Amino acid sequence: MVVTLLLMPILAMAIDPAPPLPDPVQQARYTGLIHELRCLQCQGETVADTPALFAVDIRRQVREMVVAGSSDKEVRQYMVDRYGQIILLRPQWSLANSWLWLAPGLFLVGGILIAWRVLRQRRELLATDLADVESDDERGRS
Amino acid sequence: MNKFALPLVAFALLVVMFGVALKRAPDKQFVKSALIGKTAPQFVLPDLLHDGKTVDSHAFAGRWTVVNVWGTWCGECRAEHATLLQIKQEGKVAMVGLNYKDEDAAARDWLSQLGNPYEVIAVDREGRAAIDWGVYGAPETFLVNPAGTIVHKVVGQVTAENWRAQFLPLIEGAAK
Repeated sequence: MVVTLLLMPILAMAIDPAPPLPDPVQQARYTGLIHELRCLQCQGETVADTPALFAVDIRRQVREMVVAGSSDKEVRQYMVDRYGQIILLRPQWSLANSWLWLAPGLFLVGGILIAWRVLRQRRELLATDLADVESDDERGRS
Repeated sequence: MNKFALPLVAFALLVVMFGVALKRAPDKQFVKSALIGKTAPQFVLPDLLHDGKTVDSHAFAGRWTVVNVWGTWCGECRAEHATLLQIKQEGKVAMVGLNYKDEDAAARDWLSQLGNPYEVIAVDREGRAAIDWGVYGAPETFLVNPAGTIVHKVVGQVTAENWRAQFLPLIEGAAK
């Protein structure tokens, strides 16, 4: 994982023939953004990782917007307006997908509730069983 | 209550959910266009067949328009070409070509060999108009209504089947 992350900038440079931007801050933002956008032509990769036609055009667009002074948010919104949420590799929170985000938590709470009920039932059963045994004992003695 | 009832109901719900999702997922339309229901992006681009002239998308206002994104490098475009010619024959829509990341000479050759289904062809050499239209490959085909709203998009080939099943009902439904 660490190795992959370390290799990523090198790979990106190998695929992206454009020279780095003169401003290192802009270059960092550009690199960050292109690693967040999905190549829709190839679908498994970011636009930073492929020489596909689509990725080349999107990289150029991001580069131009960064140089022109657009914020990261504006670049993301520009892409979402045209291609939809799917272009973002890290999906945004929205009402429509909120259940996806909440589902793991709900499952966890549900699981804990079920486990708690089962354990309590078992303890109660055990208690009544013991009580039965005790009363049997008493009956036997009398 | 039977102790299997709850898991069974949960399982049945999952089956229904997956079933619906599978049924509703149209093939190849993995990326639903974000632009459906939105105003079609405007463009002014060079005209492929008339040197020095431009194609202005404002010219299509008031008519049903099909915008077909194509390139000579695209195999599926060749496959759908015959259908496009038929749609032109039918004469129900204005057909606009968006020649995407192509060579002018190759594109002209292609049209003189295979026939020209388009009223006009705009040249998008750098793919900038394509980004505005949310295009990520070719062929892609948009249906724009007379008010200038994108009402449908097909990624991949236009076929006689999807033309009849998806495009025509929208055009004819609005005419009624």
